[in-house]
Amino acid sequence: MNRTVLIVGAIITAAIVFVLVAGLGKDPRAIHSPLINKPAPPFALKKAGSDEIVDVSQFRGKPLVINFWATWCGPCWEEHPVLTAGARELEGQVQFVGVVFQDDETKILDFLRQRGYAYPTVIDDRGRTAIAYGVGGVPETFFLDAKGTIVAKHDGPLTADLLRENLRKVMR
Amino acid sequence: MFSRARRRIPVALGTMLWFLVSGFWFSSAFAQQTTVPDADQFVGAPKGTPLAGAQLDQRTQQVAGGIRCPVCQGLSVADSPSEMAVNMKAQVRALLARGYTQQQIETYFERSYGQFVLLRPKFQGVNVLVWILPAAALILGVAIVFSKLRKLSTGNRQPTTDNSSEPDDEYLARVRELLSEAKS
Repeated sequence: MNRTVLIVGAIITAAIVFVLVAGLGKDPRAIHSPLINKPAPPFALKKAGSDEIVDVSQFRGKPLVINFWATWCGPCWEEHPVLTAGARELEGQVQFVGVVFQDDETKILDFLRQRGYAYPTVIDDRGRTAIAYGVGGVPETFFLDAKGTIVAKHDGPLTADLLRENLRKVMR
Repeated sequence: MFSRARRRIPVALGTMLWFLVSGFWFSSAFAQQTTVPDADQFVGAPKGTPLAGAQLDQRTQQVAGGIRCPVCQGLSVADSPSEMAVNMKAQVRALLARGYTQQQIETYFERSYGQFVLLRPKFQGVNVLVWILPAAALILGVAIVFSKLRKLSTGNRQPTTDNSSEPDDEYLARVRELLSEAKS
């Protein structure tokens, strides 16, 4: 009996240790996106501050960075200069698009006026585009290759290094 | 007369040109509409019956109750007051009103969020363990308890059930001898 208890105990302990080791180094809040390596959901949304419609399909042919953000999100303020600088530096090579949801247009325009902008920002009314992209929080950034396939996704604020690392994947 | 006619031709041409240009501009302006990713692009045409009224409310609550709010801690989009959940619930309602089935709606959300979004995991892959392990543990537990009880009851019964089974036990034989002596 003691031997059986020992074997069962060892199996249960091994299973628990395996689960813990497998989970080490992973962000428990990060949601794996099933959209990686799949075509990006198409959308055409109204540009903030104008009646112009920005259709992302027009950017096909070059890598596209889609950044979901909002003015009420602190980390979005942090990454805004990184994205703006990246868009200016890679103008003509990579297209950037900002998608704002759960926000107010006046606040978006104030934010952009104060902090600068280098790419179009569109408004996702009722968050339908965000839902189609599986957005669970802001900021979240999707990196699309020239064919419109989602190659990478980053949850949380982007640093210059993270931006460069993800861009490398779509600029191959 | 000729000079007036000559003046009228450019005016008429200009007017026509203005109508053409403005017409083109208006038509292109109206052609530009916002489009958002739609369910039929991913799960096809609705396979159910379009719902309305109280039935739609009830079904929305049911279907949204099985979809996890991605910004909450273990809450469904039917129970969470967050804006994200409200938007997702509104989308569930809109899809049910168009005739999408629960399975199609769950597939649509699963396509973008993965199985994480389903509060009731599907019976496939590693998820099978989630369904099987509790039942297996329960059966194992019952089996252990049952075997223990059987052993205990067998152990308790042994001295009383069969008096003639210990003929070699000297101590018992002596006790019986003494008892019979006391009776006589």
